Amino acid sequence: MYVYRIVLFLVFAGYLFSPLLMSGWGSPGAAWYRPFLIWGGLIALTMWLERKRRLDERRREELE
Amino acid sequence: MSLVGLLALGIGYLLILALCALAVERGWLPTRLVRHPAIHTLALGVYASAWAIHGTLEQADRSGYGYLAYYLGAAGAFLLAPMLLVPIQRMAHTYQLASLADLFAFRFRSRWVGTLVTLVSLLAVLPLLALQMQTLGNAIRLLSGSASQAWLAPGLSALIALFAILFGARHTHLNARQDGLLAAIALESVVKLGAMLALGAVALFGIFDGPGDLQSWLDGPGHLAQAETHPLAPAQWRTLLMLFFAAAFLMPHMFHITFAEPLGRRTLLRAAWVMPLFLLLMALPVPLILWGAQRLGVDASLTGSAYLAFGLSSSWWIGALTFIAGLAAASGTMIIISLALSGMILNHLVLVAHPPIAQPDLYRWLRWLRRALIAAVIGGGWLFYRLVGVHHDLSSLAMASFVGMAQCLPGMLALLYWPGANRKGMVTGLVVGVAIWLAGLWPSLLGGAPWLPPIPPGLEALADEPDWYLVTLVSLAANVLSFILVSLATRTSAGERAAAEACSVDAVVRPMRLPLVAANGLEIKRHLSRALGQEVAEREVERALAALQMSPLDGRPYALRRLRDRIQANLSGLMGPSVAQDIVDRFLPYRQDGPGATEDIHFVENRLEDYRPRLNGLAREIDGLRRYHRRTLTRLPVGLCAFGEDGELLMWNDALAGLSGIPGESVIGAHRDTLPPPWNELLGRILAEPASQLYKQPVTLSGGQRFLSLHKAERQDERATHGGTVILVEDHSEMKWLEDELVHAARLASIGQLAAGVAHEIGNPITGISSLAQNLRYDTDDPELRETADQIQQLTDRVSRIVGSLVGFAHGGRHVTGAAFQPVSMAEVTDEALHLIHLARSGEDVVFENRCPATPRVTGDAQRLQQVMINLLGNARDASAPGGRVIVAAEPEGERLRVTVTDEGHGIDERVRDHLFEPFTTTKPAGEGTGLGLPLVYSIVAEHGGQIDIESPPAGQTHGTRILLWLPLHREDAESTDEPDPDR
Repeated sequence: MYVYRIVLFLVFAGYLFSPLLMSGWGSPGAAWYRPFLIWGGLIALTMWLERKRRLDERRREELE
Repeated sequence: MSLVGLLALGIGYLLILALCALAVERGWLPTRLVRHPAIHTLALGVYASAWAIHGTLEQADRSGYGYLAYYLGAAGAFLLAPMLLVPIQRMAHTYQLASLADLFAFRFRSRWVGTLVTLVSLLAVLPLLALQMQTLGNAIRLLSGSASQAWLAPGLSALIALFAILFGARHTHLNARQDGLLAAIALESVVKLGAMLALGAVALFGIFDGPGDLQSWLDGPGHLAQAETHPLAPAQWRTLLMLFFAAAFLMPHMFHITFAEPLGRRTLLRAAWVMPLFLLLMALPVPLILWGAQRLGVDASLTGSAYLAFGLSSSWWIGALTFIAGLAAASGTMIIISLALSGMILNHLVLVAHPPIAQPDLYRWLRWLRRALIAAVIGGGWLFYRLVGVHHDLSSLAMASFVGMAQCLPGMLALLYWPGANRKGMVTGLVVGVAIWLAGLWPSLLGGAPWLPPIPPGLEALADEPDWYLVTLVSLAANVLSFILVSLATRTSAGERAAAEACSVDAVVRPMRLPLVAANGLEIKRHLSRALGQEVAEREVERALAALQMSPLDGRPYALRRLRDRIQANLSGLMGPSVAQDIVDRFLPYRQDGPGATEDIHFVENRLEDYRPRLNGLAREIDGLRRYHRRTLTRLPVGLCAFGEDGELLMWNDALAGLSGIPGESVIGAHRDTLPPPWNELLGRILAEPASQLYKQPVTLSGGQRFLSLHKAERQDERATHGGTVILVEDHSEMKWLEDELVHAARLASIGQLAAGVAHEIGNPITGISSLAQNLRYDTDDPELRETADQIQQLTDRVSRIVGSLVGFAHGGRHVTGAAFQPVSMAEVTDEALHLIHLARSGEDVVFENRCPATPRVTGDAQRLQQVMINLLGNARDASAPGGRVIVAAEPEGERLRVTVTDEGHGIDERVRDHLFEPFTTTKPAGEGTGLGLPLVYSIVAEHGGQIDIESPPAGQTHGTRILLWLPLHREDAESTDEPDPDR
């Protein structure tokens, strides 16, 4: 559940701050791939959290 | 590209798709591959419709990164899979709910809610279907350079409908596994992703010289073109995110592929990052294609910015690649939408209007109806496109669709997180929201002037905002507000409350316990056949029985309730939850004559066990405590069972299972009257008794007779909601036997005292008689008198020995004569005994045969063994009829001599046989037997280290008795004076 709360926080924070992405389009000096990098980072984080959740679940099953 | 080439490309692609589905259906591909979680995850890519290929280009051209809302909104929904999608999936699988309308009808317990959601979905999906067809038509027009889409696009649509009918409507149950279809949709995802990445690569490396060159162009000459875009205002952006977030699981095709297909929980959890990654890869090429086209100077006003990809190169394969990407995206969406909507229309419009009661060949009828509806949905989409969609751009169509579908979002969130929401509130909110959506966006779609909702005071700035934004805000606000207010102001029915608990994320279902009218699975079949026909009823009941691994003869009320639930869920997958509930309520009713319903504790416990992995924090601790207490009761070394107020067995712990030999799973949920004997009678007795204990009740179990003590306690809490009785069952058999032994020992002790007295009282006169006999012998020369005197002496000796034996028996079985054991011939002992028996002059008409061989001999006391034989032969004589035979035989058996005394008498009563070696047990009439003979024999034989047994009748005979003795054989090398330990 703690993992889920982190994800919930991430999604909510992303929802609030995502309009900042819009400013990158066509701005001189702003790397065109910046939004995709941030997005990719979030995916990596979610992947890690999902893996952690899966391991936690497996450990819990083993304990029981 | 020529029209023929285009036709070949389109048909060829659809043929490959069909071949893929066919290969899976026919088992040409390995199951491990076909059912790999990756296939299902890829199938979720159906979200990327033609809008993802063409519409996002149009949006990127207008609002820059605003196009990302389509991808990021859906990615957000999948990121929240554990909290949002997994609970919906659990409900859909448990209750076999195949669509959003099924879910709403189930939660709000109303067929009209299902019908309303179906109508809203149909209206919302028509613009999206039109969008798919428009992209197909425009792509064909652009590639072929003619208006030939008039027949080619509907032709392709017809092929797509045919594909959906062939591979999506093979099963009657909507939740049936459709591996072929899933594999085809997954292939479509791979194709469109591959095509988009290829187009992006062409732009990045073909038109630009890589990322660096692109960046330079954007910072330089391309900057002007980018300045023409109008980034979305933050509020609009967030609204778009929310719309696409809702679309990711509310749109009929997404609901169908995510929840109706048997996707595993773990696969869905993995999709939390796989789908965002897929969407990222789909989104990445969009700006590359746009910038590539801008650098090439492609005129967007000629082709429309949605179709800029066709202008990336004049090569035919770029056009073909773009066409295939669009076709893959559009066909997947059309196939799944048609399948999902046909099921919704069937369950919530057709079957509600025309219930299939007693419909002959129900399965076939449903299958063909569904096929017709698939064709009708695609046909309807085409008509909408030709009449309406053709006049609008992709964005208008997409917004009309997504805003409409978002009206179900408040209902869905309430379904998951607000058990207080009710039907009236949900319908009011949905109707208000949909009315605003229809009034705000549809008039402009249909060619009229839009009616825009009045703007509340203080929000006048909204007047300049786009229609879609204004309508979304106002419709959703009105929807949510009216939903909450009406739900709070009106009453929620009991059925709705129960369904709300079943649907709530943090609630566990607490079903009530009522017995069914049907007594077992066979009766359920009979009742159901009146609604479904015999064949369908049998198949459905068999299917449910197989799923529950139940026997059709199982009559436990608990099992029958589970069977009813399973049948309802299966019928829900066949005909929707409304019709399924009608059928089971009508044809499989609960009995109303019993006590009031109480909670089904056992079922709740089972559900809690399933729910356990999802518990955390305090809930997990409390559940741990529950499990601890339950384990305490289950492992209690004393038998324990619990009954509900209605007599239904709720608990049967391990100790009781061990004692009774009946596993808990086979009886929990049964009524006490249907428990196997003797438990039904025994437990029924304690439940009926006013006393709360029953002590040492004799019960015959598989292990023999046991003595059980039962204690009961009424289980009544302060709210009197969990009534019933808990019963402790203690096995007191060993204690009973020990008590019997104690009584026996006390009796022996009193015999000892008696014997000591008797020995003392009889000893003296006997000594006198013996002395007188001796005198007589010496005083006379009459041989007859001398013989008589000898016999008197022998008999007095015998009396003395008997008295001595009695004392010895009373002193624990040790003989008191002190004579050493010597080799004894049983033949001689038997002869001597027979001689004495004959002297008694009774039973002279019984024939005695001594067949004992002179050797081998046994080790023992000849006098005491003679006492044994006299007792046994006397008993045999008394039991024999006149003319009967008594045979004494002996033969070596290993280290022992087996001696048998067999008579042909009336035998021994079975009830007495086991107690014959106990003192005072006799089969003779009162006054004729003391009941001490055989205990004495037993004692002497034990003293010799032998054994004794009784066969009555002997093996192979119909009457008579055989006494078997085993005495240790004399060994020449052994010390003859060794006395065996009688306690050994």
